[in-house]
Amino acid sequence: MAGVFSVEVFFVLFRESLEASIILSVLLAFLKQGFSGSGSDQVVYKSLVKQVWYGAAAGLFICLIIGGTFIGVFYSLGNDLWAKSEDLWEGIFSLVATVLITIMGLAMLRINKMKEKWRVKLAKSILDSHKHKDMSWWNPKRITTGYAMAILPFITVLREGIEAIIFVGGVSLGTSASSIPLPVFTGLAAGLLCGYIIYRGGNVMSIQIFLIASTCFLYLIAAGLFSRGVWFLEMYRFAKAAGGDVAENGSGPGSYNIKASVWHVNCCNPLIDGGWQIFQALFGWQNSATFGSVISYNVYWICICLTILAALYEEKHGHWPLLGRFQKKKMTEAEIDQMVREAASAEKLATVKNAGSHDIPMDSFESTSEEESKDVSR
Amino acid sequence: MKSFVVLLLAFMAMVSAKTVTYNLTATWVQANPDGCHERRVIGVNNVWPPPTIEVDKGDTLVVHFTNGLDDRNSTIHWHGLYQNGTADMDGPSMVSQCPVAPGASVVYNFTVNQNGTYWYHAHVPSQYPDGFRGAFIVHDKEAYFADMYDEELVLPLSEWYHDEMQVLVPKFMSLYNPSGAEPIPQNLLFNETMNSTIHVKPNTTYLIRLINIGAFVSQYFWIEDHDFQIVEVDGVYTEPSTADLIYITAAQRYSILLTTKNTTDKNYAIGTRMDDNMLDLIPEDLLLNQTNWLGYNDDKSDYHNADPSLKDLTAPFDDFYLVPHDKQGILPEPDHEIVVDVSMDNLDDGVNYAFFNNITYTRPKVPTLYTVLSAGDDATNSLVYGEFTHTVVLEHMDVIQIVVNNADTGTHPFHLHGHEFQVINRSPSYGDDDPTPYDPESSDNPPFPDIPMRRDTVYLRPSGHMVLRFRADNPGVWLFHCHIEWHLEQGLVLTFVEAPKIIQEQTNVRPDHWAACADLSVPTTGNAAANSANFLDLTGQNAQVIFLPAGFTARGIVALVFSCISAFIGMGFIAWYGASDLSNTEAKIILKNGVELNDDQELDIQDTETVNPHLAHHN
Repeated sequence: MAGVFSVEVFFVLFRESLEASIILSVLLAFLKQGFSGSGSDQVVYKSLVKQVWYGAAAGLFICLIIGGTFIGVFYSLGNDLWAKSEDLWEGIFSLVATVLITIMGLAMLRINKMKEKWRVKLAKSILDSHKHKDMSWWNPKRITTGYAMAILPFITVLREGIEAIIFVGGVSLGTSASSIPLPVFTGLAAGLLCGYIIYRGGNVMSIQIFLIASTCFLYLIAAGLFSRGVWFLEMYRFAKAAGGDVAENGSGPGSYNIKASVWHVNCCNPLIDGGWQIFQALFGWQNSATFGSVISYNVYWICICLTILAALYEEKHGHWPLLGRFQKKKMTEAEIDQMVREAASAEKLATVKNAGSHDIPMDSFESTSEEESKDVSR
Repeated sequence: MKSFVVLLLAFMAMVSAKTVTYNLTATWVQANPDGCHERRVIGVNNVWPPPTIEVDKGDTLVVHFTNGLDDRNSTIHWHGLYQNGTADMDGPSMVSQCPVAPGASVVYNFTVNQNGTYWYHAHVPSQYPDGFRGAFIVHDKEAYFADMYDEELVLPLSEWYHDEMQVLVPKFMSLYNPSGAEPIPQNLLFNETMNSTIHVKPNTTYLIRLINIGAFVSQYFWIEDHDFQIVEVDGVYTEPSTADLIYITAAQRYSILLTTKNTTDKNYAIGTRMDDNMLDLIPEDLLLNQTNWLGYNDDKSDYHNADPSLKDLTAPFDDFYLVPHDKQGILPEPDHEIVVDVSMDNLDDGVNYAFFNNITYTRPKVPTLYTVLSAGDDATNSLVYGEFTHTVVLEHMDVIQIVVNNADTGTHPFHLHGHEFQVINRSPSYGDDDPTPYDPESSDNPPFPDIPMRRDTVYLRPSGHMVLRFRADNPGVWLFHCHIEWHLEQGLVLTFVEAPKIIQEQTNVRPDHWAACADLSVPTTGNAAANSANFLDLTGQNAQVIFLPAGFTARGIVALVFSCISAFIGMGFIAWYGASDLSNTEAKIILKNGVELNDDQELDIQDTETVNPHLAHHN
């Protein structure tokens, strides 16, 4: 199983597709907010929803092309390069993967905040786009205005997709190419499913519990990876000093540095035995633990705890511990709500206008828009 | 009448026997045997290579040996010579004598009642590969092939290192060589040099004495387009056996009869090749095979490499099937059987050691022979020789059977001091994962040969086994060990103390041998721990490094428990952090701000104003 399923890749895909689907759901919620109700809007609404999906599909398509090429090139060129000092690269790749997973992991627990964040961003960009409507016709910003509902998901999906590609590239540096496709698809599916449930307003509580559980899992993996990375670097140094293939002896004596060993069992070698390899991928198991691998594992968890404390502090006080004076104050929730409403209205207005619906007097739109801009700029 | 003849012959032997004296002083010299690298080597009397010692059968040899090396001890072992009655002349340091300190001298004095091809070499740890080894030939006019050849050649073979042993050994016996990978030699020497020519006459028969005086790799030997006849192995004359390819391990000897061709039109390649299965890795620049030439004429234009791909190396002559010329039959069922398993493993210091039955030879504090001499009646108790010299006491005249099972995946040439043994079973090699010990009950065992081959150095194949027999008719302290110097260093040695009571009766250690001990303050009485008050008390003996603790020790358990605890605490923090996000849900925000958003679901542009008050309120 370990050869065909990279757990790290699964989580990267899960996380990125979850984020993309949340953005889509926020967008769709916008449209719903703006166009629900009156019958005449339904046609426009449907065409806008279509735009969103087309944009997302286009973004995904380009991503798949880029990703495929990237990974293809990567594996055809890369692996030869690293074969020589495998332990060194394994170590470095494991550490890179740890950093990547660590960075994106905690954000997954802030799904609600993330939703908020995207609402703000989208609202801002919609408002911005309407500001440009007076520009000359060839201005790129002007051109995109009419298709904002396609451009936004397009860019979003592309962005998340490319991010996913880079992360997958990062975390899978040390793994075999065959272990990537399956977690890519399952991760995508899981992320989209989760996003859909959130969009449909599923049980917030159970979604959160699910996210907590999977994040715990993700960090178990990351801690194990970190420890493994340090282990590989130590192994590289030992192998270099030993001047040969020290793993020649399998898991027995001679395959490890006795002086650095904390425990060693002559079995259960994750490099040789598939079952233990899964155990290692999930929990960082080592049959031959070194001081470095044990200490790094513990230090990793301590760092996570400290980071969480700091993040909670930031949420409560609006700035990171010790950094208060350097950070500008953020918008309050009410401000955000306000801005979102304005954006939804503006979009509706613009669309209705474009669609040739003249039921509403022009001048009132204009004046409202200007006020909105002022509000936001506060 | 018959007894008169015997007496007469004995008398004649006495008058013809002479005393041969050599003065050998070990000295450092510069040499460049392979033409690739000049280095410091150990020569004799300021010359390298050391001289060939030649005696006639029955001669008494007196060697005045001086250790002229300024930085290390030394001794000389006479490889293959039985030392019957002179067990104190055998040479291994801390076994039959004390090491000889720089500047000190000892005399080796013994009678050679054997014939054939032998050699001598330093027998302190890791010294002879630095160059201190040479041929030892016992000429025998009575040899059955004495009139079958015209000329005689001695051809020592060996591998050569550009580094001194004092550089290689610490790297080898190191935490950083956990697999026990033996250092890779740089070249194969042929007659102590490379790319040489042996000039031969046409239509002439040569007796060529091949000696592998190396310390590690076995060598394949062949001569292009020539067959030859094997007539002696390790001092044992054999029935002539035709071969075109032989496999010579470290310390083995072969005498072959080579009859040259009628014409001198062409020169022929003499090929030697390392057994690369013995090498842990093969460096790209290592030449596995070397070519020397059998020169019929002086025209070197047809010299060419003995490409081993042109030679089928899969089936070298199997010495198991040689038949000794004396037709000595197989010894009867053994009185004493010793079964040993050969293995390699790492001890607690991370160094890779070699074991016979989990014991790696560790030198005693008193040379074992001197323990025999000082132990009185306790000498028959193997305990007094220490637990880590792996000593087995043998009864005089018992038939001894040694079963050697190879749990290691390498070829090992085993040598027994003081004896030659009958090789009555030797298995093929088995796979790395399939070590196959000797099973006397197995129906697969071939029947023992009626007239087994005998020699003093026999190779054991990877993961295989062999069965050896000899009669304990030579009182003395004899090492049984692998003749790969690296493995000797790793402790692949055991000690036989044969007929200790007779040793005590017949041994008279020379004063200069005692003096050598005094020079280095090596105790000469007592058990392996130098305890002469109570020979059964081994307190303070030299012991091997302890075995690696298996699995989890206290340290490991603590580390594992702490790792688990920190993982759980960490996950607790994550859960806490995740749970606090619930306060970010819309429902919570609404609750907090006291806003009813239900109306806003129907939001349209005019509603903007109605929401604004919240904003204002909030600000």
